[in-house]
Amino acid sequence: MSQRQWIDLLAERGARSLARRTSRRSLLARLGAAIVGATAFPLLPVARAAEGDGRLPPPSDDGLNAELGDPTHCTYWRHCAIDGFLCACCGGSQNACPPGTEMSPVTWIGTCRHPGDGKDYIISYNDCCGQALCMRCRCTRTEGEKPVYYTSKNNDLLWCFGTKSRAVHCSVAVVLGVATKR
Amino acid sequence: MGAASGPALDYTLECAGCHRADGAGTPGSVPALRDSVARFLAVPGGREYLARVPGVAQAPLDDAALAAVLGWLLVEFDRAHVPAGFVAYTAEEVGRLRKQPLLDVEAVRKLLVEAWER
Repeated sequence: MSQRQWIDLLAERGARSLARRTSRRSLLARLGAAIVGATAFPLLPVARAAEGDGRLPPPSDDGLNAELGDPTHCTYWRHCAIDGFLCACCGGSQNACPPGTEMSPVTWIGTCRHPGDGKDYIISYNDCCGQALCMRCRCTRTEGEKPVYYTSKNNDLLWCFGTKSRAVHCSVAVVLGVATKR
Repeated sequence: MGAASGPALDYTLECAGCHRADGAGTPGSVPALRDSVARFLAVPGGREYLARVPGVAQAPLDDAALAAVLGWLLVEFDRAHVPAGFVAYTAEEVGRLRKQPLLDVEAVRKLLVEAWER
């Protein structure tokens, strides 16, 4: 018996044995249980705790009356220290994550000067987490950024902390307020 | 959208990225300040701990600004636990404490939390 025939025989025996031991119904039953089980997972206490008050309040740009520029461009004023894929190119916006991703509550914060009113706005660079890299509108700017050994002000890091997934998808630039004086 | 200056601005720029704007922290990643930070003041070593903990000691703020942020956040996030007769941190005190590194932060923190829970 050649090696190829031997493998054929083994596969055939395996398939016949499986067919004898199981029915199509049992497959459906198990598949059904798996699907129901999967939907039940988010109801478990751990998942609920993770969704608790650990969420950022919805970002608000109220009071930012002089918006300028295109959030899908790296040169957009808020992106003065962003490093990543711009969420405005990935199904989100400059301050909202794309559907299916979760905004990291842990972030790094800097300021960018608005070219219209000349004020320094406090900008929070939050990563949106839970999907693979967006790969559109890559942007790297470093105003006020510090080296990686100063981690809290470094943007080379992936900032998906406190999120269900550590996979980073894209980054937003949320205006938190105006820095009136340092 | 608020305007910020002084200690509130320093907190936002140097601390809020991790401790969050409302001091809630992120369970499992970053300790909360809200409703607990001032409890350190009630246990021996706690006042010193707050100025020596790495996030405070290493903040890129001068001693006076750092003392102001500490005083501000204790009242802002945990007024109820600030002991009567609390004396505000001075620049001199913070400057001295921040030069004494905590070599095992988590162990020290655990002891202090156990002390106030007793």
